[in-house]
Amino acid sequence: MSLSGELLAAGLLVVLAASCLLDRYLPRACLAFIAFALLMALAWWRLGAPWLALAEAVMGALLTGMALFHGLGRPGSRSPLPPRDHEGRPRHQAPVRWLAALIWLALAGMAVWGVPGSGEVAASAEVARRPLLVAGLAIMALGLWAFAHHHHLLRRLLAFNVLGSGVFLLLAGLAGPVVEVQGLILVGLMVALVGSVLGAALLRRLHALDGRVTLETGPETTP
Amino acid sequence: MSGALLLLATLGTSLVAAVVIFLLPERAFRARTGINLGAALVKLSLVAWMVWGLSHGREYVIEFPVLEGLAFVLRADDLGIMFAGLSSLLWLLTTIYAIGYLEDSPNRKRFFGFFGLCVASTLGISLAGNLFTFLVFYELLTLSTYPLVVHRGTSKALAAGKVYLRFTLTAGMGLMVGMVILHVLAGDIRFGEREILAELGPERRPLLVGLFWVLIAGFGVKAALVPLHGWLPRAMVAPAPVSALLHAVAVVKAGAFGIVRLVYDVYGIELSAELGLLYGLVVVASVTILFGSLRALAQQELKPRLAYSTVSQVSYIVLGIGLFGPLGTIAALSHLLHQGLMKITLFFCAGNYAEELGIHRIDELDGAGRRMPLTSLAFTVGALGMIGLPPVVGFLSKWYLGTGAIQAGMPWVIIVLVASSLLNAAYFLPVLGRLWFRPGPDHGVGAWPEERRLGRLETHGWLLVPAVATALFSLMAGMLAGMPFSPLEWATRVVNAEYLP
Amino acid sequence: MSAPLDAPPSVEAVVLWLALLAPPLLGLAAWRLPPRRMLPVLLVGTPLPLATLWLLHRVSVGGGLEGAWSLAGLRLHWHLDGLAGLLLLLTQLLLLASAAYAVGHRRAAAVPERTFALFWPLLGGLAAALGLIWVAADLLTLYAALELMGLTAVGMMLLPGTGEALLAGMRYLLYALVGSLAWLLGVALLLGATGRLDLAGLAAASEPGAVTGIAMALLAAGLLLKAAIFPLHGWLVPVHASAWTPVSALHGALVVKASFFILMQLWQRLVPEAVAAAWLLGLLGSLAVLWGGLQACRASALKQVVAWSTVGQLGYLMLAFPLLAGTSAAVATLAWQATWLQLAGHALAKAAMFMAAGNLVLADGVSRLTDLAGACRQLPLALMTFGIAAVTLMGLPPSAGFTAKWLLLQAAILAGQWPWVVVLVVGTLLTATYVFRVFRCAFVEASPRHEVRPLPAGMDLVALLLALAALGLGLGAEWPLALLREEGMP
Repeated sequence: MSLSGELLAAGLLVVLAASCLLDRYLPRACLAFIAFALLMALAWWRLGAPWLALAEAVMGALLTGMALFHGLGRPGSRSPLPPRDHEGRPRHQAPVRWLAALIWLALAGMAVWGVPGSGEVAASAEVARRPLLVAGLAIMALGLWAFAHHHHLLRRLLAFNVLGSGVFLLLAGLAGPVVEVQGLILVGLMVALVGSVLGAALLRRLHALDGRVTLETGPETTP
Repeated sequence: MSGALLLLATLGTSLVAAVVIFLLPERAFRARTGINLGAALVKLSLVAWMVWGLSHGREYVIEFPVLEGLAFVLRADDLGIMFAGLSSLLWLLTTIYAIGYLEDSPNRKRFFGFFGLCVASTLGISLAGNLFTFLVFYELLTLSTYPLVVHRGTSKALAAGKVYLRFTLTAGMGLMVGMVILHVLAGDIRFGEREILAELGPERRPLLVGLFWVLIAGFGVKAALVPLHGWLPRAMVAPAPVSALLHAVAVVKAGAFGIVRLVYDVYGIELSAELGLLYGLVVVASVTILFGSLRALAQQELKPRLAYSTVSQVSYIVLGIGLFGPLGTIAALSHLLHQGLMKITLFFCAGNYAEELGIHRIDELDGAGRRMPLTSLAFTVGALGMIGLPPVVGFLSKWYLGTGAIQAGMPWVIIVLVASSLLNAAYFLPVLGRLWFRPGPDHGVGAWPEERRLGRLETHGWLLVPAVATALFSLMAGMLAGMPFSPLEWATRVVNAEYLP
Repeated sequence: MSAPLDAPPSVEAVVLWLALLAPPLLGLAAWRLPPRRMLPVLLVGTPLPLATLWLLHRVSVGGGLEGAWSLAGLRLHWHLDGLAGLLLLLTQLLLLASAAYAVGHRRAAAVPERTFALFWPLLGGLAAALGLIWVAADLLTLYAALELMGLTAVGMMLLPGTGEALLAGMRYLLYALVGSLAWLLGVALLLGATGRLDLAGLAAASEPGAVTGIAMALLAAGLLLKAAIFPLHGWLVPVHASAWTPVSALHGALVVKASFFILMQLWQRLVPEAVAAAWLLGLLGSLAVLWGGLQACRASALKQVVAWSTVGQLGYLMLAFPLLAGTSAAVATLAWQATWLQLAGHALAKAAMFMAAGNLVLADGVSRLTDLAGACRQLPLALMTFGIAAVTLMGLPPSAGFTAKWLLLQAAILAGQWPWVVVLVVGTLLTATYVFRVFRCAFVEASPRHEVRPLPAGMDLVALLLALAALGLGLGAEWPLALLREEGMP
């Protein structure tokens, strides 16, 4: 696999992740996520992990996508979510979240810099996987930013999924597509899927119950 | 019965009684009374058996490991069995009293259940064979007395309970930390092995002195040493049997007994003297004695006056411990029992006045001697004993304290004793005067605050008998002090073991 | 599916895996045929702790068991030592108690049977996840088990279906998912640096350095979040306050402890000498003790008091880290025993306390503290259970909390780490403050009488038994502690 191909794929991944997380129009953001997941599947396939690619395509793209769209609700169905995120940004918790996100990123970056030097990773593979690492870091950064920044629960679910994919990429980039990595990613995919399904279902119920789409305790629910 | 089994049975009696009482329904009055009295009698006889056995050189020990290098030890020794005997005798009498006192009042099940737990803890304290076991029961005592203090559930009672917990739990934590430090220094400290701390090097001495005062503060809260006595007068809101128990037996005595154990069995009397700890103890005790008496003088109600009198009287025990020498020790140990007998008499009588005539204030007592002669006689015996007049047993305590002070080379203590006796007289004699010599409602002057004719006798029989019985015991302990198994004789026996190796 | 081990499995291994895998199957069975009485539940469940007892006996005689599964080229390791066995026993007992309690709770709270049936498979899943966590010896199994535990726990939290529960559950879900990503990233770093996933291999291959440190920090962050250690405790209280009583009992007793257990395992293997970081954890624990205690003193609802108390009590466990890092063997042994004793005592007592509080709330129909007046007359048994459990939480004798605190104090004093002594003292007094606040409210006599709903007797009994177990563990601690001492620390 050529370095330029990797670079292209990595760049595309980052772009898709960004468009998924930045879009306030939720159906489009979900579509972007599905495209992102499919591209991830492609990346796994190219890394020589066909089973993982299949799992990513089925669980990451298809099922998670379905869950997300279920969470949005079809326009005709009972109490669909408004397709646009209009949430304001209450500020009181923001600094803490930002701090956590920045610390996370700094730690990850430092460690990623440190690992290849000290580990047993072969030098040739290292170069090929470097775009993967960079893309993973970038996607993780995007995911963290979105998770800390957004309040709309669907967008936070999206952010979580993107963040997870970033971690998977880092994982693969750091240790190569060995069987342990595949196992970890497989478990991670399943967890992300169950989490997304649960989260989407919960979001629907919450929205149906009192029309909320965020966790922020409004003035009416403050204890 | 083997020694271990006997110990467990003694401890288990009131524990099992408590559990059974908790399981019985509230309305099962007869069953509860039967269990209460039965358990108290069984326990008293078991303790008596152990007293007999100890005097014949038997050993009663049971232990099992709890942690590495730390065991749970129950052991009956001469000192412990003294306290055990006192608590089981007074438990019987207080139970009788409480059954009469709480007739028809709510929550009796809870009361008697925790009452049993409280006595079990007191017995555990007296039979504890090392510091760890002592602490276990000491804290259990705190927990089991709380529901008794707040028994009435009024806001005043709840506030008193809060203060009580604040004092005792904080002190308990202090004790625990102190004991853990001692454990780290010297390992498992068994009572009766006196040389452990003395063997530590001189560089440990300052630490030992500091620890001593931490532990004294921990025990001092329950023993109501000034300035740690604040909870005691407030706890007076509890029902009369509880006050009697708290003040005469369980709580304050547990504190005093803890100080006895600390000085004689943990530090050892020689080491305590060498470290100069005893002198401080004597000063603290003297201050408490005088302060308590002065405060008692200022009280207008009967129960608070008795409470401050307790503050003062319990410190006689501490004073006796502080006097280095056999006579002081005899005074301390025998006063542990004597004060219990006399003080419980006074509280029973105060309860009787309150129940029968609704009297709470001292100036309402005018002429009550005619209306309730037996109760008033018992009260008189107790009060005279507190002042220290022969032949009531209080005289002996003061006599030994005085001679002990001279033996220890602290003659100024005599002044404290005399002053305290005068103060005792000043706050008890007016009460006696009102009882016997002032005209009251029975002479046609005024009316009782709230008279209830509770029984065919001057009051309810269940209330009268214990008061008279304890008064008789106080008299007998004074007059028969030379007989075997009298408190004084037993205290002398303990002291001989302590001072004559 | 899974190819068997390299050697034919020993009897012990078979028993262990049967004991681990039986609960999910039983849970599925109970889903189809929901039990209506407590006795069948207890009868079906009892063989499990008995099997574990037998395993513990074998372990104490013949040393720990270990083995590995091969799964499509992956080697998954497991091991059963005394600690894991004891925790497994504790888990099974608590699960059994909650299962029995849940049957009564369904009846008393009149939850529709269909809604409640879902509880059983989730409970089975939780049981399997917890069991796996105790015996897992590689990061992949741990990861899978941790996630299974988190998701089943979220599922159970959601069962009441009220808006409050959904909201709390959603928050918990998000936190748990992010926590697991932090964990996964840490695993990624370790895997990249050493190429190993099994704990023994990691301990041997990892060298102290920046990467190990960062990996451990990420792992710790994820686990602390899941263990609700201050300041990452925000999700715990709403979740506990709105969940069904058996669920919050299990969650407070076991689920948060499992994350702590994993953290301790990893810490001891990867960075045993990181003194500064360990002190940081100890500091967090101290803050948790103080903050949890203060909040519990301020909480107005009974279940909130209990939930905040969990936050505070978890702090005590964190004190183990500074006492284990770079201290003498004597101190470390003491702290090691203290930690697990505290964990067990707190698990039993907290479950009992939640159940007692649940009984009070359910029978009395009120949840605020001030409405408890008169409860001591009408619900003496529930209040008594609450009290006995509180004795353990306060660390007063003769409870397990007391013995554990004695050990902790001894360790801290022996090591000369006096700050922890202060924390222990203050924590005890704070605990006493909020516990007796409940009692002060319950002892008030002047109160209007209100109707009390009768509860199945078993509910009170289960809670009481758990509370008594916590109490009895105080003086009966020698057997488990001896087992821990014999095998030493990892």
